[in-house]
Amino acid sequence: MKYVFLSLFLVMSALSVAAWWWQPVAENDRIELVWCSDDNPMRREQIALFNQLYPQYRLKLDPQNSTMEKVIVQCLAGVGPDVFDCYSGFQLTAFVRSGIALDSTEALLQRGVDPSAVWPCLRPLVTLDGREYGHPDNAHAPAMWFNKAIFDEAGEPYPPNDWTWTEFIEIAQRLTKRDSRGRPVRFGFIGYWDWQSALAQWGANIYTSEGTRSVLDEPKACQAVQFMQDLIYKHKVMPTPTEEAAMSGSGGWGAGAQGGGIIDLFGAGRGAMAIGGRWWLCLLRNETYSKLRLGAVELPRGPSRRVFGGGRSTLVNAKSHNIEGALCFLEYLHSQPWNDLINEQADALAPVKKYNYTEGFLYNPEHPEEDYNAVWRSALENAEPMQVSAYVNGQTVDRILVEQLDMVKANVKPATRAMRDAARKINEAIVEQLRLDPELREQYYAAVKRGARPAWDREEDAP
Amino acid sequence: MGPRRGRALRRRLSATIIAGAFLLPNFLGFVIFTFGPVVFSLAASFTNWNLMKTVPLQWVGLDNFLKLMQSPDFHRYFVNTAYLMLGLPVAIAGSLLLAVILSQPLRGVVVYRTLFYLPSFTSGVALFILWKALYNPEFGPINQVLETLFDWAGLTSVKAPTWLTSTQNPLALAVEYAGFSPDQFGLGARDAIIIMGIWTAVGGGNLLLYLAGISNIPQDLYEAAEMDGAGACSKFRHVTWPQLAPTTFFIVVMSFIGGLQGGFEQARVMTLGGPAGTTTTLSYYIYVKAFEEFQIGYASAIAWILFIIIFAVTLLNWRFGSRYVNY
Repeated sequence: MKYVFLSLFLVMSALSVAAWWWQPVAENDRIELVWCSDDNPMRREQIALFNQLYPQYRLKLDPQNSTMEKVIVQCLAGVGPDVFDCYSGFQLTAFVRSGIALDSTEALLQRGVDPSAVWPCLRPLVTLDGREYGHPDNAHAPAMWFNKAIFDEAGEPYPPNDWTWTEFIEIAQRLTKRDSRGRPVRFGFIGYWDWQSALAQWGANIYTSEGTRSVLDEPKACQAVQFMQDLIYKHKVMPTPTEEAAMSGSGGWGAGAQGGGIIDLFGAGRGAMAIGGRWWLCLLRNETYSKLRLGAVELPRGPSRRVFGGGRSTLVNAKSHNIEGALCFLEYLHSQPWNDLINEQADALAPVKKYNYTEGFLYNPEHPEEDYNAVWRSALENAEPMQVSAYVNGQTVDRILVEQLDMVKANVKPATRAMRDAARKINEAIVEQLRLDPELREQYYAAVKRGARPAWDREEDAP
Repeated sequence: MGPRRGRALRRRLSATIIAGAFLLPNFLGFVIFTFGPVVFSLAASFTNWNLMKTVPLQWVGLDNFLKLMQSPDFHRYFVNTAYLMLGLPVAIAGSLLLAVILSQPLRGVVVYRTLFYLPSFTSGVALFILWKALYNPEFGPINQVLETLFDWAGLTSVKAPTWLTSTQNPLALAVEYAGFSPDQFGLGARDAIIIMGIWTAVGGGNLLLYLAGISNIPQDLYEAAEMDGAGACSKFRHVTWPQLAPTTFFIVVMSFIGGLQGGFEQARVMTLGGPAGTTTTLSYYIYVKAFEEFQIGYASAIAWILFIIIFAVTLLNWRFGSRYVNY
């Protein structure tokens, strides 16, 4: 028996040596850089351009580990990527506080990168306490897509840029179509249940300006979420969660990581209008939708004209073995070739503001039908950063909000009660976080001293 | 010491060293990747360990456990976990029934056995995506059949369940707290997961165990029963069932352990723990707390509470279940 084991051991050893011998050889004159981001055809072109402009490096994509938790765990374990994506101010805080995001303030200045040249709503994606940790990749603010064919078929004039939510509801009701059994054939409005846009338009906030307390229980916020619930159940211009699931092939929204399901449904004419971003074109330019005639206008006006904007940024792993190469990548994100490529690909808008004020951006000769690029730029001009609080874990807040909003969306809980419960739970989470983190507690009390509203109502609940 | 005894001793020593050498990789793997992390997580559960570097690591004693006991979320997710286990008896009974049928001398029985075992070696994620499509409220085959049946029975006002998007359940468990709420009566996401679990489990490992158990029952017991005039039901009740008691006991113990640890993949792929947290189980909650909210200490405490629950349930099973094992 032992000879069998010995032989097996020798065979395995020989195979290991063979595998090592024939492994793909790295191009020894090029330094390898790893970028954790999602995979799509746009990314390939973006990587190819970097590799062409910086021939000393070979940038590789790692799409399997791009979620925040994986990046943090891998970087802390010393096997993280060189550069990685960041999608919100909360994520930036988490990356910085876990010690994995490199403070690149001075390095960026030395390379001639001007952080103030990017869209203002992108600043929270890269700046924390006055320090720079990366560079934005693209910029996004929502506007309203509409399907021209559906409007033409219904004899409905295209929506104007200056319209109200009341007008929007009337149009959406006229364009909603059901079959004889009452099943939806087409909705006037489809897409994300974008309660945050409603919040912005109603002049409401998730937190106080200092982020010390959740104010989702204030009347404006409740009215905004109630409006979103009414779109489904009162005005019936938007699908219920059940109808959403029914319309989506895989049984729910967001078949793709970034809501590809919704875009596909909109592209297939299941909705006349949808709130979305310019980046939808990455999918809608596809041959499948060649007959789709699109238009875009600004969001209808609510009591306020605010919208929340955002995007994606790239940060540098502080433990990277190729800091120099990673900084080159940030420099690349600030350069004209990158910004022009983003606008050309329609992967949202270029992060550096000035590159969006060109003729090439407004009229792409390869896509002359896209006559609405000024809409996205205008939306970004009015965009404010997404609200985050430095005093609470954004994922905890997400969990609380998803649970409460699920109930509002399914009509099992009124918006006012859900928002009151959400605010209470978020405020409890803030207090809990302050109990854990003395440094944060110190900052928090300093803010309260300056007049910020604390998360607690009774002094005995203070951490 | 005689030369013969010395040689025997050397041979035994050499055999021990060889055995040890073969065991060593596995043993090292166990120590490094299982035993070590288990001990480490026990220690972590008594700390406030957080992946945020601004939170200094501190020994917090039983704080995590006390907080957990008072947490409404923990109670809700425990109820979810227990609720999803309601399908276990049906799955076990289904496996037994199927094993009895497949142990008959049928033509093509090997093909049947393979077909029933198929779900067990199909990728879980693929199965979950398939079931998501089956549960489509309007166009899924399940609701199509139900609606046809309702129409046929003249129940036009009865609507088919909306499955993965519904918070309802036949026990009318409330959504936001561990209690009851009459408006939650119906079928929903949790039931959808239970039904899928039964389908997967009936033809799975339990079926193989029962088939093996049945093949080990001595034929002379059946012959003796036949001579006493026993019919098929009597033979099952007085021969098969008692002879399978050890197998059933093993399956029950393992199913309880699996059930308490389960629900992660389904939640991650099919529902993300929703709607409104109704499919979040303790194992998914551990993941959320540790890797999304970075509270490793707290998540370790949940894991250890889960271990204590599993241990207690297994002890109860041994204490009371083993009474029915007659040999």
